[in-house]
Amino acid sequence: MLEIKNLHVEVEGQPILNGINLTVPKGEVHAIMGPNGSGKSTLSYVIAGKDDYDITDGDILWNGESVLEMAPDERVAAGLFLAFQYPVEIPGVATMTFLRSAINAVRKARGEDELSIPDMMKLIQGKAKELAVKPEMLKRGLNVGFSGGEKKRMEILQMALLEPGFCIMDETDSGLDIDALKVVADGVNALRGPDRGMLVITHYQRLLNYIVPDKVHVLSDGRIVRTGDKSLALELEQSGYAEFEENAA
Amino acid sequence: MDVVRTEAESELIALSEKARLNGPAWFEDLQAKARADFSELGLPSRRVEAFKYTDLKTLFKTAFPPATGSDKFDQVLLETALGQDLAGLDAYRLVLVNGQFDERLSDNIALDGVDVFSLSDALSNPPSWFEGMGQLEAGERDAVQALNLALVQGGLVVRVEEKVQLDKPLHVVFVSQGEAAQSFASRLYIDVGAGAEVSLVESHVNSGATGMQSNVVTEWRVGSWARVRHYKQTRFGDEVLHLANVIGQLGQETDFKFFQLTVDGGVSRNQIYLTFEGDDAKADVSGVALLDQQTHADMTLVMAHKGTGCESRELFKTVLNGEARAVFQGKVIVEPGAQQTDGEMMSNALLLSETAEFDSKPELEIYADDVVCGHGATSGQIDEELLFYLKARGLPEQAARELLIQAFVGEAFELVEIEALREQFAARASEWYAG
Repeated sequence: MLEIKNLHVEVEGQPILNGINLTVPKGEVHAIMGPNGSGKSTLSYVIAGKDDYDITDGDILWNGESVLEMAPDERVAAGLFLAFQYPVEIPGVATMTFLRSAINAVRKARGEDELSIPDMMKLIQGKAKELAVKPEMLKRGLNVGFSGGEKKRMEILQMALLEPGFCIMDETDSGLDIDALKVVADGVNALRGPDRGMLVITHYQRLLNYIVPDKVHVLSDGRIVRTGDKSLALELEQSGYAEFEENAA
Repeated sequence: MDVVRTEAESELIALSEKARLNGPAWFEDLQAKARADFSELGLPSRRVEAFKYTDLKTLFKTAFPPATGSDKFDQVLLETALGQDLAGLDAYRLVLVNGQFDERLSDNIALDGVDVFSLSDALSNPPSWFEGMGQLEAGERDAVQALNLALVQGGLVVRVEEKVQLDKPLHVVFVSQGEAAQSFASRLYIDVGAGAEVSLVESHVNSGATGMQSNVVTEWRVGSWARVRHYKQTRFGDEVLHLANVIGQLGQETDFKFFQLTVDGGVSRNQIYLTFEGDDAKADVSGVALLDQQTHADMTLVMAHKGTGCESRELFKTVLNGEARAVFQGKVIVEPGAQQTDGEMMSNALLLSETAEFDSKPELEIYADDVVCGHGATSGQIDEELLFYLKARGLPEQAARELLIQAFVGEAFELVEIEALREQFAARASEWYAG
């Protein structure tokens, strides 16, 4: 279970999150929707442990323990995973090499044995196939020359391989056409399960047709201003965010 | 006017008076001229443009005495100095102990069309293709090259005849052997016949010397359609001043590649001068330098295009930590008539500390009008966005940094075509990242 309690975050003295309270129980998928600048990406980065953010109040608890003092890699080992809105390109690091390093680093941190190279290859190639990640992509530099859809599939592949207990997807739908969106959504849905929570952050309702959430939260001006079920997303699609922005102003 | 000399200059001039090698008249004239040149030029200071960032007047404080070595140096000590990886390299090993070719420690290359001599043997009975040694055009009058000729005590001369393809690389090992601070000056001369193919691995290692000054000049005479690979690495401590020149003359449609791995190692200055004499020749000059503490490493290149349609590529990756300083100077000269020249150079530096310094000076001198030439230089720090991404995939800070450094240099390592050597280089680099 992920619990965010009264979270206040500033960047260079500017308040971005102004008291977020949110609980995502095990097995549930929650969506966070909101206009640009409402703090959606900040929230995802703060959960993942990025520097550059001052947490002035509140806490983030994962399975009852605060993660605020944990380094990003320790959070991954504990089971949190962030799929990036803009996955970075790293020329010179073959994707396969990177995946192996990541999997073994996480296994080591979790007290598991490192995988042998043949077992590793089998695991990666198997999951890659499920996500329609072509074998030649694994040989290329990480995300180098990948299309938008390929980059997002690579994020989901990493998510599947690192077996997190909780997934945060930051605007996973951005830059995807409808076919790519379906592939990504199928990959995400395959990872849904009673032991895994998810937070899907999106500007548009479209993604939620494919990844159907248990709850929808509206984020505006760094606060959750409304919570509802999946119908709230459809309502927002009709009315837009103007109502919430006015309230905030 | 009295010439004011530094202590090292006086010592070097005194050494050069004693260092005469016997040879044909042309060689003795050459050595006399080199002595006169050095005496006039002295060690270059930062006021000499080409040495602006590597002031040898300051860096070369005192001249170490010439190495004498010991009779007790044997195969076992050599293997120890090489280490397991270099000792295991599948190659014909040619060993120079303190700059002198040592036949006893070298492999006997019984291949048709391949001749190996010591420098003194080649000088006492010079083959026709050996004349002109020491006379390759290499830019302006250069004090370091003059010093080498003035001090040279030994070296290695190799001839690969036309169309001969070596089945294994030549592994030329320079070992500094002794118990004190010492010096040597040595030369390699390699004549590659038309259509021949040769790969050369040049390794510098130490066996007991507490300090070392070396001055090595390599001359490549590359015939038409020949293919040459030259990989260089140095493995020595910090009390080192290494001055090196690689001078190459490339014939028509030659294919020449040079790569250097520099890992720390005191003060070094590497100069590479390639002259594209024939048409449609290609050269690729690249390297990786990993520098920490007070290391000073200078890589100075001149690509002189004379023939038409030649291609030159340079790619250098430098990682700096501590108070290390790296210098990259790359010059592409396109002479009148060298049309359709394609020259491109790139030098990238990654600075891991606030106190490291990278000086980069690209120069283009173009006297022809139908050419494509470009240069680029970057210097920066580890990208925090990339670092966060890797940490967000479970990699601890140190492992994430290592992977990013590896990624930064990786592109250059790919230019090493001998797989075992590429793996050795990468392993050495990994050791360096891990500190």
